[in-house]
Amino acid sequence: MELAAEFLLDPLRSGIGRRALLEVTLLGAVCGPLAFWIVSERLSYAAESLAHGLLPGLVVAALAGLPLLLGAGGGVLVGAALIAAAGRDERVGPETATGVVVTGMLGLGALLALAPETPQRLEELLFGDPLGVSDADLVAALVLAVAGAATLAGLHRPLSVVALDPSGAAALGVRLTLVRLALLGLLAVAVAVAVQGLGNLLVLAVLLAPAVAVRRHASTVRGSMLAAGALAVAGGVAGIYASFQLGSAAGASVALALSVAALGGAWLPTKRR
Amino acid sequence: MSAGVRADGLAAGYGGRQVLRDVSFELEHGRTLCVLGPNGGGKTTLFKTLVGELPPLRGTVEVDGRPAYVAQTERTRLDFPVGALDVALMGSLPHGRWWLPPRAADRRAAEDALERVGLSRKAGARFGELSGGQRQRVLLARALVQDARVLLLDEPLAGVDPASAERIAALFGELREEGRSLLVSTHDVESARRFDLVVCLNRRQLAFGPPREVLDRATLEATYGREMIILEDGGPARAVTVQHHEH
Amino acid sequence: MIAAIPSPLDLVDLPFMRTALAELALLAVAGGLLGTWVVLRRLAFFAHAVGTATFPGLVIAEAAGVTAQGAGLATALAYAGGVERAGKAGRGLGDAATGVLLVAALATGVILASDVFHSGAAVDRLLFGTLLGLGRGDLVFSAAVAVLALVATTTVGRTWTAIGFDPDSASSLGLPSARADLLLVGLVAVAVVAAVPAVGALLVTSVFVVPAACARLLADSVRAMLAWAVGVAIAQGALGLYLAYWLDTPPGPAVATLGAGVYALLAIGSAITRRQG
Repeated sequence: MELAAEFLLDPLRSGIGRRALLEVTLLGAVCGPLAFWIVSERLSYAAESLAHGLLPGLVVAALAGLPLLLGAGGGVLVGAALIAAAGRDERVGPETATGVVVTGMLGLGALLALAPETPQRLEELLFGDPLGVSDADLVAALVLAVAGAATLAGLHRPLSVVALDPSGAAALGVRLTLVRLALLGLLAVAVAVAVQGLGNLLVLAVLLAPAVAVRRHASTVRGSMLAAGALAVAGGVAGIYASFQLGSAAGASVALALSVAALGGAWLPTKRR
Repeated sequence: MSAGVRADGLAAGYGGRQVLRDVSFELEHGRTLCVLGPNGGGKTTLFKTLVGELPPLRGTVEVDGRPAYVAQTERTRLDFPVGALDVALMGSLPHGRWWLPPRAADRRAAEDALERVGLSRKAGARFGELSGGQRQRVLLARALVQDARVLLLDEPLAGVDPASAERIAALFGELREEGRSLLVSTHDVESARRFDLVVCLNRRQLAFGPPREVLDRATLEATYGREMIILEDGGPARAVTVQHHEH
Repeated sequence: MIAAIPSPLDLVDLPFMRTALAELALLAVAGGLLGTWVVLRRLAFFAHAVGTATFPGLVIAEAAGVTAQGAGLATALAYAGGVERAGKAGRGLGDAATGVLLVAALATGVILASDVFHSGAAVDRLLFGTLLGLGRGDLVFSAAVAVLALVATTTVGRTWTAIGFDPDSASSLGLPSARADLLLVGLVAVAVVAAVPAVGALLVTSVFVVPAACARLLADSVRAMLAWAVGVAIAQGALGLYLAYWLDTPPGPAVATLGAGVYALLAIGSAITRRQG
């Protein structure tokens, strides 16, 4: 009994642990429900491209001593602009063009990080550092959580209509493009904020895995979003605990916990049908 | 096989779900058949079954040899870097081995086919840069190179300019003379009158026979439902169909 | 901060540079040839995903003393199989499941490298490639893959083109489309593994997508595209190698940045000419 108590209290005793737990909770609470819409609206590829493509922004911010959130935000904007511009050539196609942009961005980021005399902490940028979360990062996560929740609540009705019947949505007065743009905007902000904790290669875990896990099991939209949010928080907390108890890399542990939950959920047989 | 195409009690569908049933008809060599019906009525499903891509759910289907299939042009990739001659040359793939490069005879057959559809001057043009009618003619050239006894053409005149349409219609006549069997699907009722036989499909076969017997008001109404307007101006009933453009 | 500009002759004078140059040249053959169909058949994301998926396998291989190629092949083919199954789950979920598999692979690799095997230094090398660490085994494997790519292009290439251009007519043309596509996907998976030592698991697309994408902007026929793709791949490989040597970075990021830069110039140029023409 005492051992269990020790186990639970360990991370909560240190400031680092408390902050990491708070960070993954805030991120999970908003990214879980968001993940439902990302998967539902087939935006997985967009999420992956935005996440990978912001690396140079992160590296430049790290080199210049600026806050990483600024670099992430700039990286997302530049990346999105390049992807949009490149995708216009119908000969190559948007998927391939996005691949070229992402390849270039990843390469450029790594080049900028590894070239100078003192290589910037590339690993942390790639794989995250939830244990290194600062108070500023927490404030950003809180803002994201509040703004994200508000946006999702506001978009809930139009998104549900679009999901159910995209071709009929216009008739019901729902502007398809605007709704999707809003969703993409929220995705971009979520990526920029979540990158602090999870790194630009692993942030995809919190933006996809919760939805993949609950997709075949939950039947209502609201139920799916709640379940995804709960799972995202649980996965994040589990990852932090694993990192504390086993000494494994924190960001990767969170990502792995979420992925395992996703693959388990996708693989387990469903109750219905 | 005595007939070009024979179907008997055919039912077909996707993933076990039936979308077409009760199809029975026979088309002899050197005859043309119009497959008439609204979009979603099963015309393409029938063709996929004839080509062998879809196994019949019920009934049988027999085709003399491997049929040439010209699908609707929107389905081909316009951004593919292939020229008109390259596309025509694809028709030689069934001859010989598909893993070997094309022979000189194949190349000549492709050039001749392009000549026959009136596009020898466009041999090097990129497929995607041609007009809708020219693209259709190139795909027909490919079918010619295939040298099949049976040709299946899915809406070959849709969106085609009048000059190309005329050329294509003339080609149909030539193919018929050569003893080949032609199955052409269309939603245009008037063009159906020029064929030897007509089969009306709307999720099931509603009629089969010569056009003057089949294209009466009752059958047309059963085939098209509310999508059709009948114009009666003293002559035989003329039908105009309302087309929905699916995106 | 940046070293003095080295002599280009170092590329052929220094033994390790000769090896690296030969490796990138051989990879350029497979990358240009197979890359053409990766681009035409929309397999760019698949190539990236397979490359990334080899990461944990390679970490284990190094710790266990097994050859890199063997482990890489095993994980690549296992991943390709996983993608097949995920694809059957329907588009939306399939894409997401593929993304999750990718993240799982990366996270597993990181934990294995930093916390289980304590080979943390290998992470950069496996993800971004190495200039000095290329050996005879890598050259032999890349040569074999180049030969495979060449043979496949001259034999199955016509079929891949016909299927890609008009999938509906494939059965009427008597083409074994399922088998031919399986062969393409399998070859790409194997070829991608060959590129990992030089450019890294994260940047295999710099060899298998970017040169062919550039070629697509320059060529009007499949034949020309194949030729341009190999040419661009060789040029960007050599220049990228030189850049990596000068800046003292792994080859992957240098080749990737250069290639993407070339694509950007070509895309802008092509957009300008199309507006005028």
